[in-house]
Amino acid sequence: MPLASFFPRSRSTRWLFSVRTGIVLLISAGLASTAGTLVLQRPQTDPQKIASAYSPEVLAWLDLLGLTDVFHSWWFAALLVLLSLNLVLASLERFPVAWSFFRQPYRRPEKHFRASLPLQQEIAIPGVDAGLHAAQSALRQMGFRPRRIEREDGASLFAERNRFSRLAAYVVHASLLLIFGGAVVDAIWGYRGFLALTENEQTSRIELRESEYKALPFAIRCDGAGQENYPDGTPRRWWSNLTVIENGREVQRKEIAVNEPLVYSGLRFFQSGYGQTGEVSAIELRVALKSDPTHVRDIVLSQNETLSLDGKNSVTLAAFYPDFVLINGEPKTRSHEPNNPAIQLEVQSATAGDHPVASKVWLFPNYPVLAHPDGSPFTFEFRDLRMGYFTALQVSYEPGQWAVWAGIILMGIGLAAAFYFKHVRVWAVPVKDTQGRMVLWVGASASKDRNEFKDRFERFVRKIEDNLNAQAEARMAWFREASPTKPATEGLIGAEVGQRVRA
Amino acid sequence: MARVMAPSRLVSRGAETQSANGRWLVFAVGLAIAFFLFAALPSAAKNAALFTEESLLYAALLFFAGASVLYIGFGVSGAELDARFATAATSVAFVLTSLAAAHRWQTSGHPPFSSIYEMLLSFVWTLAALTLFVEWRYRVRVLGTIALPLATLSVLLMQLMPSSVRPLVPALQSTWLHIHVSLAMLAYAACALSFGLAMMYLIQDRLRTETFLAATCGLLAAIDAGIATRFDPSGGLRVVAWDSVNRQEIFFAEKTRLLVVIPSLGWLMFLVLASALVPLSLYVWAVWNKEENALAWANRTFFVSTLLQAAALGIFLMRAGEGSYLSPQTEGLFSTSLAASPFILTGLVSGLFASILYLLLQWRRPNLERMLPSAETLDRLTYKTISIAFPLLTLMIAAGAYWANRTWGSYWSWDPKETWALITWIVYAGYLHMRITRGWRGRRAAYFAILGFAIVLFTFFGVTYLLPGLHAYA
Repeated sequence: MPLASFFPRSRSTRWLFSVRTGIVLLISAGLASTAGTLVLQRPQTDPQKIASAYSPEVLAWLDLLGLTDVFHSWWFAALLVLLSLNLVLASLERFPVAWSFFRQPYRRPEKHFRASLPLQQEIAIPGVDAGLHAAQSALRQMGFRPRRIEREDGASLFAERNRFSRLAAYVVHASLLLIFGGAVVDAIWGYRGFLALTENEQTSRIELRESEYKALPFAIRCDGAGQENYPDGTPRRWWSNLTVIENGREVQRKEIAVNEPLVYSGLRFFQSGYGQTGEVSAIELRVALKSDPTHVRDIVLSQNETLSLDGKNSVTLAAFYPDFVLINGEPKTRSHEPNNPAIQLEVQSATAGDHPVASKVWLFPNYPVLAHPDGSPFTFEFRDLRMGYFTALQVSYEPGQWAVWAGIILMGIGLAAAFYFKHVRVWAVPVKDTQGRMVLWVGASASKDRNEFKDRFERFVRKIEDNLNAQAEARMAWFREASPTKPATEGLIGAEVGQRVRA
Repeated sequence: MARVMAPSRLVSRGAETQSANGRWLVFAVGLAIAFFLFAALPSAAKNAALFTEESLLYAALLFFAGASVLYIGFGVSGAELDARFATAATSVAFVLTSLAAAHRWQTSGHPPFSSIYEMLLSFVWTLAALTLFVEWRYRVRVLGTIALPLATLSVLLMQLMPSSVRPLVPALQSTWLHIHVSLAMLAYAACALSFGLAMMYLIQDRLRTETFLAATCGLLAAIDAGIATRFDPSGGLRVVAWDSVNRQEIFFAEKTRLLVVIPSLGWLMFLVLASALVPLSLYVWAVWNKEENALAWANRTFFVSTLLQAAALGIFLMRAGEGSYLSPQTEGLFSTSLAASPFILTGLVSGLFASILYLLLQWRRPNLERMLPSAETLDRLTYKTISIAFPLLTLMIAAGAYWANRTWGSYWSWDPKETWALITWIVYAGYLHMRITRGWRGRRAAYFAILGFAIVLFTFFGVTYLLPGLHAYA
């Protein structure tokens, strides 16, 4: 056996080959997974919650045993490695038999095989060709494609179906290994990270974990993002326009949405959220001189931007509260939504003296009449505002996923072949029975569902008998036509044909 | 009824009595369905709601309940007529459920898989379809005795859940999700069937009736102990408060539900728990001392326990359905609802259902045995349904992984639901290996199939409510 040469099966390693070990390992993996869902896991829960759920001593033990992070613990990995090893060894040990079933179909049953096959029958036949012919047409009627096997000791029939299903279990096991392999590749070389971009922001690093970053070989820029709502206000769709910039060149542009990621050199960028930053990106104002209201000008300001109004005066967007409220006399914001915006401007006017005069101007777009008296020489009228927003992106790099998908497809094929197809073989050999009469030995075997297959086999035997009877009748009709005065031939030909012989 | 039966009793207690019984039951069930349908007709007509999802489901519920009664009647009496009408009622209920699901699909614009309410709808649909299919293909008619009450229970449970069509959040808008969930429903329905078949196998395999008694008592004790954890020191039962206007639970603080105490119901639940433990301990005593007499007493006390359970269910339905109760957290009065305690309700109802099934078995075991297919057929059918369920489970996990990969960028993140789906898969993989390579047949295989379904139940319900994770909406 070739297997023995590279993995000797000795007394001490024998357990690794057995299906029983496989089952024990499977159950252990199941129990470990159960523990992983019952004990709070460190990667998914915040540290405070874990600390409050268990006492320090218990937590120390759980940590020591790896129970707070089962799926990344060394012993879980060891369990999976052992399981894979067992899968490989157990499969390799059994594979040669299945492979020989597949490679060298057993077409001509020998005497000892004929004696021991559970499903068999002997049918009396008038001659070799007549018997084989009857069996051949019976097989054809049942949808088989029989082959005539010619050997020195005579001819026989062989038919089979779904030979490939012998290998199905190995296909399933191989697919499991493919899936494990892909998952291992991803666990070692893959990574997942997080990225939040505001409009026109560009970055080339992602956050893997709390304050742990990874630099990307290219930069990504957000050109716009948005949210579409259902009529009742719940979000229906989030989208972002992303641009990939490599070596200062724009190499890819895509509008992504949930379930429609951007893929660039193996990295995938997923839309995972969208939100207001609470900061204003631009405010549009109409400015008029108090002394001359016809002198009107529109300006656009962003946070902390200073704009010159004329030679002597300039205006700065000093503060912005999207959802303004006064708490203990202090201006605060209740949310990041612009429900009740409040704008504070600072107007600087150069005077004859050294110090410029600054005056503060408050604007409440929801309450235009609430104008504060101020000392600036201008009036400001609110026109429009655009809120700043951010788009939350999930980034993932999983080079092993293709092995996983290939494994899953292979497993689908393997499972279908294993459960919905059975390897069926039928043989028909003309032999002489113990009394020296000519009989047709028919036998069959199925790789599973043997009880149901028994019914089919009996139908097959009946079909052969019917065919033989039909042959006999046809011959009789021919005899009657040839010599209508000799009905005695009936007894000679018809008597034994089609009668079952006790095997 | 006695007067009608009198002449036939003179002749024989055989087939004629049976068919008379069957006719009587069909008549009664038909009358009940007709009565409830007509009773609901005026209000439905007034609201111009004859063919809405709600009224369709109401009608389906009536037919499901009718079919359950007829199937159980068939289980008791073996009357051919009952079985025929049970199949007919199931078919009608199936059509009505299909219409309700189609209606919901049309109004919401997405297949009914996005909330636990919609998943139950799909589950009921699949269960009815599979039952009819197995009945037609394999001529196993007693299956309905388990499958139909299960469907009825699910539809009842659905009546208590928030059913409003909610728009899909972005993550759920994917064809892959629909594939994932429909595969899950198919797989779980196949697992449910294999469970029913395995139980029938155990009956046909001459598993002693007392063992069923012990198992039923164990199940009841587990359910009742779970309910008894809500015991309040004042002797009441703590249940979640319910906001009947918005049809949702009331929260005291973030992730903390507001509880109210229904007085003295806690003691009742303890009594029910004790009543389940009495026959169990009598059984243990009887087995230990080989005393037949104790077994008879175990059965008697079990009957009492069943009556107690029925009473507890009735009282719970009444008390939780109306009235306001004191909340220990805020000292205020709040109302509750059956919808706020789906687990207590499901536990009580399924416990009662299991008890009735046991009583049926104890009372009419020879009849049941005569009607069920042979043990060998049941064993084979169990294996067949699992060999259908397993590839479906595999594909379900694969479709879920593919969807997660497209939505979050990771095909596997060990969240509790995923992990439990994997555990289910492992258990059934174990079953298949033991069966194919080690030739496990019969009882051990049946126990394995039952364990598999218990884990499916935990994955479906337990994980959703006990182990929160990514699958928050399902």
